[in-house]
Amino acid sequence: MSRGGQSRTRLLLVILIVTSLFLVTLDLRGVQLLDNLKQGTQNVLSPFQRISNSALSPIKSFFSDVSLLGRSGSQIEKLEQENASLKLELLERADADVQLQQLKGILDLAGTAGYKIVNAKVISQGSYQSFAQTVTIGSGSNAGIAQNMTVLSEYGIAGIVKEVYPNSALIQLASDPAFRIGVRIVNSQQIGFLSGRGERSAVLQLLDNSTDINEGDVLMSRGSIANRPFVPGVPVGYITTVDNSAGTIAQSATVRYYTDFSKLSVLAVVVGGPSSNPGDALVPQKPKPIPTPTVTVFVTPTPSPSN
Amino acid sequence: MSTRLISASSLVFLSIFVIQESLISQFRLPGGGFSILIIFALSWAIMSEREVAAVIGFAAGLLMDLSQSSSGPFGQWTLIMLLASYGISYLGYGDDNFFGGAIGVVFSIVLANFLLEIMFLISGPLLGVSIGSFGQIFTILLGTSVWTLFVTPIVLPLFAKLHKTIFQAGTLA
Repeated sequence: MSRGGQSRTRLLLVILIVTSLFLVTLDLRGVQLLDNLKQGTQNVLSPFQRISNSALSPIKSFFSDVSLLGRSGSQIEKLEQENASLKLELLERADADVQLQQLKGILDLAGTAGYKIVNAKVISQGSYQSFAQTVTIGSGSNAGIAQNMTVLSEYGIAGIVKEVYPNSALIQLASDPAFRIGVRIVNSQQIGFLSGRGERSAVLQLLDNSTDINEGDVLMSRGSIANRPFVPGVPVGYITTVDNSAGTIAQSATVRYYTDFSKLSVLAVVVGGPSSNPGDALVPQKPKPIPTPTVTVFVTPTPSPSN
Repeated sequence: MSTRLISASSLVFLSIFVIQESLISQFRLPGGGFSILIIFALSWAIMSEREVAAVIGFAAGLLMDLSQSSSGPFGQWTLIMLLASYGISYLGYGDDNFFGGAIGVVFSIVLANFLLEIMFLISGPLLGVSIGSFGQIFTILLGTSVWTLFVTPIVLPLFAKLHKTIFQAGTLA
């Protein structure tokens, strides 16, 4: 490359770097233009996402199930034999059944607490490249959804509405590293806040260091002013590990969310909070232990031929 | 660059962006999946002159920032992609290039993809982006690298053909 060409390349590079930094500065200062650009892009993309979601619905779960291969090889082998006999329409039916089951769970949850909800299908998963955990749902402001509303799965909290568009909305999942929610422990009524970690587990930090917390303790959402972003009484998760390190200012614990974020296909946005706090009405039932059947074998010795 | 070349390139870029956002984003792939837009931009950057590569990186980064699932401030991906594309072109362009052959190109794209994520991880907290636990970061870094290694050889011939068609036609026009 000639000297003139090199200096032209350098000049272009500098201009582009300065432009990028200018964009970052504009965004950090909250310039509306960039938000409008993003909103416009999503308005264009959402019909494509809806079409892709419908077309790929039967085969979508295949890739997430691949990660379970190592854990249950024999089970998958057995299922493969069974699946060979299934046809495409049955796959579609199975997909619809899963959505129906999730929807039923959500309706039960919302009905018990008295939440007014809007149901929506998940039409797109967020990119992992930015280390964020988001999904897009196929309903937006036209259906009454607004920013900072609570989002439920069939088991409890799923996230909050981060951005809203006319026919879609971006949901920040509770597993997102930037997600924070105020919670209370059901038995002790201790309060604290929970932070997402990018996976199904989260970190709980209590505000008071004096009360004991135990593994298995259930966490519920505390609720926010005017029920936004969080309505009260939503099951969040349960404590799996308690951090008892000496010298910590606040007690902390690891929490597992009730919601499995890898299997979300239907979500509900709480558009109207309950008239009264549902309290502990939604605390999930502990699974009943299944009795183990005892098999008794009677052996009768046969006479030896030598006798 | 001719108007025809720019419009043809823009069309390809937008198509790849729509494929990424509407088709590939349907799958929750184990380990974080891959970005077809990043693979595309890096592979085109490696085949182009430095100044063209810088523009390619800038355009791809802008599109990534427009994606609603992008968590950082607008412009963060633009800056990262610009630097990565320029860097990869700096090493890869010319007869005495650093990579030598298709396998070298594939591995360089995987490495560049890995470095992109590292750059995002370093710049993210400075710009107020939460990045999650160490375990999750490690899983995503490893997962995206493996997926990129798996996908790049499949799509590279198509991207190379597109580059050749558009840029040769653009040069002649």
